[in-house]
Amino acid sequence: MNKNNTQTNNFSLSNDKVSATILLVPALIFCTIFIFIPAIGTIVGSFYSYSLTSMNNWKWVGFGNYVKATQDEYFWVALKNNFIIVFASIVLQVGVGTILAAILDRGIKYGRVIFRTIIFTPMVISSVAVSLIWLIIYDPNVGILNAIFKSIGLSTPSKGWLGDPNISIWMIMITAAWQNTGFMMVLILAGLQGVSKEVYDAAEIDGATGVKAFWYITLPMIRNVLIVAILITTIGAFKVFEFIFVFTQGGPSNATQVLGTYIYLQAFNLLHMGYANALSVILLIIALFLGWLQLKSSRKA
Amino acid sequence: MSRFKIANIIAYGFVTLFSIYVLMPILVMVLTTFKSKREIFLEPLGIPSQFGISSFEKALSVGLGSFMLNSFIVSFFAVFLIVTISGMAAYVLSRIDFKINKFVYLLIVAGFAIPPAAVLVPLYTMVSNLNLLNSLFGVIMPLTAFGIPFTVILFYAFFLDFPKEVEEAATIDGCTKLQIFFRIIVPLSGPVIASAAIFQTVWIWNEFLLALIMLTSDDFKTLPIGLLKLRGEWTSDWGAIMAGLTIAVIPVLIVFLIFQKYFVRSLAGLGK
Repeated sequence: MNKNNTQTNNFSLSNDKVSATILLVPALIFCTIFIFIPAIGTIVGSFYSYSLTSMNNWKWVGFGNYVKATQDEYFWVALKNNFIIVFASIVLQVGVGTILAAILDRGIKYGRVIFRTIIFTPMVISSVAVSLIWLIIYDPNVGILNAIFKSIGLSTPSKGWLGDPNISIWMIMITAAWQNTGFMMVLILAGLQGVSKEVYDAAEIDGATGVKAFWYITLPMIRNVLIVAILITTIGAFKVFEFIFVFTQGGPSNATQVLGTYIYLQAFNLLHMGYANALSVILLIIALFLGWLQLKSSRKA
Repeated sequence: MSRFKIANIIAYGFVTLFSIYVLMPILVMVLTTFKSKREIFLEPLGIPSQFGISSFEKALSVGLGSFMLNSFIVSFFAVFLIVTISGMAAYVLSRIDFKINKFVYLLIVAGFAIPPAAVLVPLYTMVSNLNLLNSLFGVIMPLTAFGIPFTVILFYAFFLDFPKEVEEAATIDGCTKLQIFFRIIVPLSGPVIASAAIFQTVWIWNEFLLALIMLTSDDFKTLPIGLLKLRGEWTSDWGAIMAGLTIAVIPVLIVFLIFQKYFVRSLAGLGK
């Protein structure tokens, strides 16, 4: 009797395992073939020198590609630009997004849904379309930015808004903020709405209202949401591609490259596949580190 | 009292100014579409004197219709695969005590962190060796893979909060996990399926990098890649370029306005 029981259990357990495996395997197959195997391929390929046309002509170079990267000034320019974009995005997108979320949460009474909808809208437009729209705004001949500057008597940059790398990197930031600030606002707004009304009532009794209450009471309470927002922005800043691809193609003379566009240039324009792989591995390490941070912070939440 | 009023004016002023910053480029796009070439050059800040449609004809001549159809096919199949496959995997992770579950979940999170740019060369080589460059299938498969990790995480959070009583009753009635998933869980997961589907549709509709390296023939280009052709073909004819963008952008905006509740919900869930 006892034995029989165990057998039934075993049977249903293995049945469960069969169903579970059937449900789990497709996801694993897809991710393995198209994400993990290529990731390993990137690491392996980074130790070789080869080009697209001579795919079978791999030459072992050891750490040669990595040494090349450390001596390649444009790699450092690209990495530096990524970091500028990270910091500026955190200030512009998370910072302004927090202010907007706070205003929509408790600062205003009317039009919350309308404002939220408008500000979030650019998020659903493709980055290529966003870049092309802003291209006409920055255009030195027909752009409204020049027209506005001239109409109030200010001078405009002589090489145009996208011709001088010191200016164009900021034009890229303004465009990125245009697209992504609404996303941060919605994310942070969801966190704010989780803060109970009692907290504010208690704060008011203690004499903390308005901006003061927000700074000392609300912000610490949504700390985890802010960390996630900063991480998502940082990850996004390392993935930046379209704005630069459309605005400057990384130029003039590689001054506006970022890792993504520089990998693309090395791989598909210069056909330095091995070197492109080494650059990809550096991006991979940064991405996995940020992913690990995100996992840690979401576990705490 | 007056302090409150000033705070109120600042609050409304700030969101209004930001809304203008958001709306202005969209307005420029639509207005430029209707302007004549002369108006575009002489009056950048002006309003078109008439509503001509010649720009739309030029924009459509580069093949926007077929780019849009390709985007539709790619989005439809990839989103269907992503939602189905991710839902199934997330259910197993949240319900069954497999020893490997923790490892699988870590793999999924790692997959979420890896951007396409970090695996670009081997992915291109693989798709090329399979003779799938310039085919919609060849771009649907990797896009599906890159959409799965985030969607698994989204579904996983939803299933953890899902009441287990119904499933327990079904188990007693002799249903297998497979039957429970398709007959009980799926019909009750409407909201999360909608959130996941809308989020992934927008992502895939707009995806650029993988489509850029894999779809080089005009017959197979998706919309984001096709839009670049507008600039190539109509170099300084801003009316035609903006008309093409208007055609590409306005349908997405309408869909967003209809489904924005689900969209906002799926993004807001990220922070939790």
